[in-house]
Amino acid sequence: MSYYFTIFSPTDTPLYTHDFGTSRSGGDGIPHFTSSERALAPFILHSALDIVEEVQWGASTSSGSAPMYLKHIDKYANNFVSCWITGANVRFLLLTRPRDEALGLSGTTGGSRGSLAGGRSGLTSAGLYNPSAPATEEAVKNFFVDVYEIWVKTVMNPFFHAGNGDIVKSPVFRARVGAAAKKFL
Amino acid sequence: MTPPQDAAPKPPKYSVDLESMNLPRKRASSPASSISSLPSFRTSNPSLHKLFESTASASGSRPGSGSATPTASVAPASIFSGLRNGAGTPGSLPPGVSDEHRTLIQRAFAPHVVVLADVETEELIRGKGFEGGLLQLLRPFGESVPGKVTIRDSVGASKSYEDFGVRFVGVNESLGLPSMPGREASNGKRDSSRVSSSSIRPRRVGGDVSQIEELVDRHLQYSEFNTQDMVSDYMNQGEPQLQGSATSSPFYSLYLRRLLSGLPLVPHETFAHPVAGVIAISSRNTNPIEELRRLYSRQHDGDLRFPQWVENDFLRYYVLIHDEETGDIAKSNQTFDSMKRHFGLHCHLLRLKSQQCIPSDDDSVRLPTCEWMSASEELAEIQKRELADEITDPTPYLPDSDTTAIRTFIRELVAQSIIPNMERAVSTWNEQVLARRRGLSGRFMSLSKRWTSFGSSRSSSSSIPSANSNYDSLQGFYRPDAPEALMRKLADYCFMLRDYKLGLSTYDILRTDFQNDKAWRHYAGAAEMAAISALLTTGPQSSKTRTENIDSWIEAASYSYTDRQRSAAPYYALRTLALGLELLRLRGSSAADDAARWASRILETGLVGAVGTSLFTERISACHAVRNGIGALKLGSRRRKAAFWAVLAAESWWRMGKALQAEKCIDNALRLYGTQNDAGPVQLPYRDMQAFIDNMRQQILGLRLANRGLRDDEDSEDGDPIPGHTVVEEATESLDILPRAHRKSLIGAVAPALALEPLSPRVETAAELKDDHFEGV
Repeated sequence: MSYYFTIFSPTDTPLYTHDFGTSRSGGDGIPHFTSSERALAPFILHSALDIVEEVQWGASTSSGSAPMYLKHIDKYANNFVSCWITGANVRFLLLTRPRDEALGLSGTTGGSRGSLAGGRSGLTSAGLYNPSAPATEEAVKNFFVDVYEIWVKTVMNPFFHAGNGDIVKSPVFRARVGAAAKKFL
Repeated sequence: MTPPQDAAPKPPKYSVDLESMNLPRKRASSPASSISSLPSFRTSNPSLHKLFESTASASGSRPGSGSATPTASVAPASIFSGLRNGAGTPGSLPPGVSDEHRTLIQRAFAPHVVVLADVETEELIRGKGFEGGLLQLLRPFGESVPGKVTIRDSVGASKSYEDFGVRFVGVNESLGLPSMPGREASNGKRDSSRVSSSSIRPRRVGGDVSQIEELVDRHLQYSEFNTQDMVSDYMNQGEPQLQGSATSSPFYSLYLRRLLSGLPLVPHETFAHPVAGVIAISSRNTNPIEELRRLYSRQHDGDLRFPQWVENDFLRYYVLIHDEETGDIAKSNQTFDSMKRHFGLHCHLLRLKSQQCIPSDDDSVRLPTCEWMSASEELAEIQKRELADEITDPTPYLPDSDTTAIRTFIRELVAQSIIPNMERAVSTWNEQVLARRRGLSGRFMSLSKRWTSFGSSRSSSSSIPSANSNYDSLQGFYRPDAPEALMRKLADYCFMLRDYKLGLSTYDILRTDFQNDKAWRHYAGAAEMAAISALLTTGPQSSKTRTENIDSWIEAASYSYTDRQRSAAPYYALRTLALGLELLRLRGSSAADDAARWASRILETGLVGAVGTSLFTERISACHAVRNGIGALKLGSRRRKAAFWAVLAAESWWRMGKALQAEKCIDNALRLYGTQNDAGPVQLPYRDMQAFIDNMRQQILGLRLANRGLRDDEDSEDGDPIPGHTVVEEATESLDILPRAHRKSLIGAVAPALALEPLSPRVETAAELKDDHFEGV
C-alpha cells in the first residue's frame, strides 16, 4: 500500500504534499510507487479535482448536512482517490495504490499482510481491495479527521494564509501528518 | 525531484512492450534506423504523396458532410449555456463539436451491390487501363451517389440525403472474418476465367484490427518524416490552437473509417449481404441474352453462389455496356430493347469509350480514390506506389463523358431500383413478419417456444435444428427464410435507409429472441445495432433511458462479442465501443462521461494495439474536453481530466516515437491546464507536474530532431525548446542529406531485399502477384 496525500487550496494550488506507505501489518511506512506511477500521481490527484467539484455541488447523499468526508471519489487504473473537504473549500486528497496482490494482479493471495485500510478487514470476499468497504472508509476517515484537526490549528496561525497559496512548510505539521498516517493507514 | 529524471530510462521497457504488440510488421527500435529501412520517405514520389495526402485530408473534413457545424472555437459566451444533463440531441451540438463522426457512421453502413461481368466486358474495361475490371471502375463512383436521394421511411415521411452511397463488391470476396480461414476454403470454388477474383488481390474485406493499426502507423510515419520544416511549426506555436479539441486528429478519423470499411460478410449481420446485383455484359457479346441468363444462373445456384446463409433472391440489375468506339449503337439499342423485354425494368445501357485515356488528353478525369477501401487494400496500394519508381501517377484516367455516363447509371440504379426495392422489402417484412411477431399471437409463440423447449428432451436438439428454434446452433446461423433472419434483414435495411426508429424497435425484439435461442453472436450484433440506432435517432433522450438501455446494450454487445464464445470477435467489440463512444460524445454533457468510460474500456480490454491505444487515449481527453461547465466557475467541467489524459496521450505517442503527435497532445494539455491566462507560459500547480511536462517536451523535441536524422545528444541538451537559428540550419541540412542517402540504399545491390523487408508477408505476396498479373496483360 502506498499513499500520496495532497492538500489543495481553493485555487487548486497544492499547499502540502506527503507520500508515505502503510505502517500496518509490518509495513515500513515507505511508499512503493514505481517511478512512472509516482510521476503520474500529481496528475491523477489534480484531475480528480473535477470529480471533487461535481460531488461537492451535486446531490447530497447524506440527508440535510453536507458531509466533509466525500469518501472514495475517483479512480485511475489502480489508483484510488478519497477526498475530505473543509469549510473553506480546502481539499484533502489521498491517493491509494494498493499492493498488487490486493488488486488481484499477482498470483499470490493477498490479505495476510495488509493495512487496516484495505488490508485484512478491508478485503472483500474475493480478497480484492475495495475502496468503499466500511473498514477502509473508516480508516481513511480517521486519518482525515486527525489531519483536519492539525490543519485547523495551522490555519489559525495569523501569519499563514491558506487562501494566498502559502505552502505549509512547518516540520511539526509534517510530523503530525506522518503520525496520523502511521496510526490509521 | 526524482520522477522526471526517472522518466528517462523508460524507453527500453516500452520498446519491449511495442514488440509484444501484435503488430505484424517488425518495428525497428529507433525511428532513425527504421526510416533508413523504409523506402517510402522519398519526397520525389508525388503519387505516393498524393495517396497519403488524399486520405488524410479526406478524413479531416468531408466535403459531403455539409451539415457539419463549422468547427468553431469554443466561444467564451458559452459559459452560460446550461448543463443539459446529457439530454442533448445530435442536432443541437455543443459548440465546437463537429458531427463528422456521426456522418461517417451513417455513411459507413451502406447497401452492398455485387458486381458480375462477363469476359468481354472485363476485357473492354481492362483495355481502358483498369486492371481491376468493371468493379474498379464503378467502385469510387458508388461511394457517393450524385444528387439528393429521397427515402421514404416506414411511416411514409420522405427525407433527402446528399451523402447516400452504395458499395460495389465482387462476388464472394468479402466473405468471412479474417480469423475464420476455414470458411474461405469451403466455398472457394472460383471461376478461373474471372480475373478479378480475390485470390490474387489484397482482400477487399476489412475487419482486421492489426492491419488497420499498421496502415495508420504508415500514415503517421509519413506525416512524421514528411512535414514541412520545424521552423514554420515553431512560428505557429505561439498561436493558440483552439481547434485542437474540436476536431479530432485526422489519424483518428482514418482509424475509424478503416474500421468501418469493408464490412465482412458474416451470418450474424446482413450489412455486407448484397442488396442488389449488377450483371453486366458487353455489346461485343454475340449472344447477350443467353450470356445474361448464364451469369444469373451461375450466381443464383452455380459456382458463384453465396453461402447458404445469404438470401439469394436479391434484386438483379442488368447492364449492357456499349463500346462507343467500335460498337454499333443501333445494334446495342436493339439488344437493350430485347433485354428490357426479357428482364423487365431493371436494365441500363452504359456507353463507355474503349480507348485508354492518358492524363494529357483533353477532358480526362482522374479516377477518384476509393474512400472506403479496406486497410489491406490501402496498404497494398501504398506499397505498390512505393516500389514503383516512375514519377507518373499509376491511377488510371478516363474521359469525362465516361464519368458522366457512370454517374447517371449509378444514380438511376440507386434511386430507381435499389431504394424503392429496399423500401418495398421493409414494408413487406414489416407487415408479414414483424407485425406477426409483435402481435399477441407472436408473443404467445415465442413464449410457448421457450416453455416447450424445457419440456422436450434437449439431448437431440444440438445436432439438428430443433423444431422450436430456427437457430442452427451447430453451424451458427439462421436460414435466410427464418423469421429471425428476415427481421434482422429488415432492421439492417432500416438502418441503411436511416430509419433508425423502426430499426431500433426491431433490434430490440431480436435481442430477446436471440437470447432465448442462445445465439450469442447474433445477440451481440442485435444489441450493438440497437445501441447505435438509439444513439443515432435524432431526438432528446433522458439520461435515464440512456443509462438503462444503451449502456446495458453496449455492455452486453461488447461482452458477448469477446467473452461468451469460444471464437471471440474482438473486431466487433471494438466497433461497438468505438461507435458508442463517438455517438455518446456528440450528446455532450454527462453522456460524454459515459463516452470516456467506454473509451477506457477499449484500453483496458486490450482490443487495440499500440497505435490504437494512443489514439483512444487522445480520444478520452477529447471526450472530457467536450463537457463544458456551467456558471462563471465552469462547475462540472472536465478540464483537468481532459488535460490529464492529453498528457497520457502525449506520453504514449512519445513512446511510439511519434514526435509530432506527442507535441500536439502536450500543447493541447497545456492549453487545457492554463485556460485562465493565455498569455505567457503557464506554471502548473505542482512543481512535479511542471518538471514532468518540461522533461517530456524536451524529450519530444529530441525525438523530433532524431526523426529528422540528427543525433539528439547535442540538441536536446540546450533545454530551451526554441533554439531558433539552429533549427533552421538543421532542417535545411536534413533536406539536403536524407533523400540522397535513401537513393543510395535503393540503388545498392541489396536494394530489393531491403525494400521488401518492412512489408507484411501477406500484402507483399499480394503486391507481387498483382505485378505479375499486370505484366501478363
